[in-house]
Amino acid sequence: MNLKEWIFTTDHKRVGVLYLIGSMAAFAVAGIMAMLMRIELSTIGPTITANPTQYNVWLYTHGAVMILGFQIPALTGFFANYCIPLMIGAKDVAFPRVNALSVWLFYVGVILALLTFFVPDPPDIMWTGYPPYSTITTGNTALYTFTVLILGFASIIGGVNFLTTVAYMRAPGVTLNKLNIFVWCTLGAFVLQLVFVPVLGTAVTLISMDKYLGTHFFDPANGGDVLTYQNLFWFYSHPAVYVIFLPFIGVVYEVIAAHGKNMVFNYKMVVYGGVGGIVALSGVVWVHHLYVSGMADWLRIGQMITTLMISIPVGLMMIGLIGTLYRSSIAFTTPMLYALGVVFLFLIGGLTGIPLALPALTIGVSDTYYVVGHFHYVMAVAGTFAIFAGVYHWFPKVTGKMYSEFWGKLGFWITFVGVNIVFWIMMDIGVKGMPRRYYDYPHFPQFEAAHQWMTVGAAILGVGFFIAVLNWIMGAKNGKPAGDNPWGSPSLEWSTVSPPPHGNWPTPPSVAEDWHPYGFRKD
Amino acid sequence: MAHDAHHAQAQQDHAGHADHAGHAHAHWDTSVWPFVISFGILFLALAFSFKFVYHNGFAAILSLGLGIPMILAGVAGWTSEAMGKGDGFSYSAMGWFILAEAMIFVSFFVGYWYTRLHADVWPPAGTITLPRVMPIVMTFVLVASSLTIHYAEHLLHLGNKAGFRFWYMLTIVLGATFLGMSVYEWSHLMHEGFTISTNAFSTIFFSVTGLHGSHVVVGLVIFLAGLPSVLRSDVDEGFMRTAGLYWHFVDIIWFFVVSQIYYW
Repeated sequence: MNLKEWIFTTDHKRVGVLYLIGSMAAFAVAGIMAMLMRIELSTIGPTITANPTQYNVWLYTHGAVMILGFQIPALTGFFANYCIPLMIGAKDVAFPRVNALSVWLFYVGVILALLTFFVPDPPDIMWTGYPPYSTITTGNTALYTFTVLILGFASIIGGVNFLTTVAYMRAPGVTLNKLNIFVWCTLGAFVLQLVFVPVLGTAVTLISMDKYLGTHFFDPANGGDVLTYQNLFWFYSHPAVYVIFLPFIGVVYEVIAAHGKNMVFNYKMVVYGGVGGIVALSGVVWVHHLYVSGMADWLRIGQMITTLMISIPVGLMMIGLIGTLYRSSIAFTTPMLYALGVVFLFLIGGLTGIPLALPALTIGVSDTYYVVGHFHYVMAVAGTFAIFAGVYHWFPKVTGKMYSEFWGKLGFWITFVGVNIVFWIMMDIGVKGMPRRYYDYPHFPQFEAAHQWMTVGAAILGVGFFIAVLNWIMGAKNGKPAGDNPWGSPSLEWSTVSPPPHGNWPTPPSVAEDWHPYGFRKD
Repeated sequence: MAHDAHHAQAQQDHAGHADHAGHAHAHWDTSVWPFVISFGILFLALAFSFKFVYHNGFAAILSLGLGIPMILAGVAGWTSEAMGKGDGFSYSAMGWFILAEAMIFVSFFVGYWYTRLHADVWPPAGTITLPRVMPIVMTFVLVASSLTIHYAEHLLHLGNKAGFRFWYMLTIVLGATFLGMSVYEWSHLMHEGFTISTNAFSTIFFSVTGLHGSHVVVGLVIFLAGLPSVLRSDVDEGFMRTAGLYWHFVDIIWFFVVSQIYYW
């Protein structure tokens, strides 16, 4: 293997694999941070550190790296890069060098985030970076700003690249109504990236300008306004959950269709109602993150309505999934298990989100573990399960080899048990009043046992993920040859050899009139 | 089914590749420049931390000394590698890119409106009266430059190379004039004690006009980069349309800057 051809590659598949390696490394680091926090919280009083700032640094790294270093790059980096050109029958993306630039900017961003562990005065401002704390702390806010800016720029140029690719490089016959659901979902996510990432970039730039360059954007003493930051930040960061949700639900669609050998149910409703609806509504719900920050009542009510409204397109997408499962011939392979896990976890996450949309109820549970538990069900765990489903699903295509189903299923069940222990308990003690973000909880001794259970659960889910990753590594090294199309899917990425050569197909593919990515043969 | 046919074809090719394994290897395209630019940007980020967080000027200059040459070399290498090999997608890509750019301005304007409408007193203490005439003149100059570039494109399309060259260069002159007037005005305001750290309004004023000005600079750099091929008369119409689109965008943003920052 020629290392130079990997590092300097401009091929979309290799860029995708680079994204996967980087994002899994980020996942490991951020996961270790979570484990450290869980160990710290397993007893009242100092457990492994007596320094609350140390805990803040773990919290910062866990959140920022999981979202910006793991989920978004795995979904819009690895899956989008690897699958979109193959699914639309293109030889590569529209701008291969720009693609290489975006993956290396992603690595630079991750390097900056990891410098947190080595620099004096590391950032300690969580992944939200709220002023006034972020503008007065001795921590290095600039590191946070540049991490976000560089990762953000990488995703913007990625978005430009993929929107152009899908617009101009589809193979003859691959019409818009025959795009894979994953392609539609990811396009939606890229539109969101283009619209909202610049706003985040602006917001985090302004805190560093305020802190280091003497400006007064968020400084009330000189006419500035702290809430401006919170609004700008959540104007991006709420849609960011759809940037993650859309591609991950797209992956789940691909897995459920292929492993159930069924046409996607209600294709047009999923695309135009689901993806379109989410893109349209995602920009008008952010204020529900500020319910307790202070605002006019009419605004609260309005945002409650839009927040509840967005469950309509999300619901359409769930109906599409369940309809696809209905009367399909389900094969309980490892990817299918993870995909079904997503449906289950997302349902819990979605339903526990409804109280949070209602101002009257949310004020009671705001800033408690309930919010943390809900968020981890709906996005963190559901998203991660979808990523694992997708990696297993496309593993034979990427490596040409087969993973071990036994270890795959074992890893799934261990993780599944672990996440439910951790996050169910989290929601439970949240409702009972356990505040989030605390480094220590001497005033809540009644929750110590629950915290210890969560720490055990976290260790269990960690073991499960570790088994899965080990399974990939072993499979890539020693797996049996998988063949080009082990799932018998008509989707275009399975029509070339595994792993696909540079250029994907020897001659550009064209598809028949009656072809459809979900046109499974009914035997 | 069609995909089966392709499948067979692909497999055949696969077999062919296996026969000359060494040959197949040479097919992976590479470029070193994206890697170089990315790490150049890393050094810029480090330089900021060195200067403003750790107050280590030497390390900051060292980082800049590594980062800036890497980025410049990267851009130059990339340009020479990619020159003349475009697939004609740049116009569409520029459209999407402008959407992202526009959102940066939207954040600034919305942040400004939010701050201003929430404030008890506006403008905050220390604000001076902004000039009234200069922004009007600047508006005329910038709008004129948008019209001249549009006319230049039109002449290029008709094949009038000499006319195109004239209107193209006039656009550059107008853009540079606009920039000169901005610099003059900034220095005038700073001279009167109105700087970026006076209060929240001055912060917004200088950031928004500065952000817009930086876009004018980028537009001019694009035009200057295209100048050699314009003088050789082998300019690509796709390049012209893309550059022109960006310039119109910069022009439109200026209307918001003038109406919201200067006259409200």
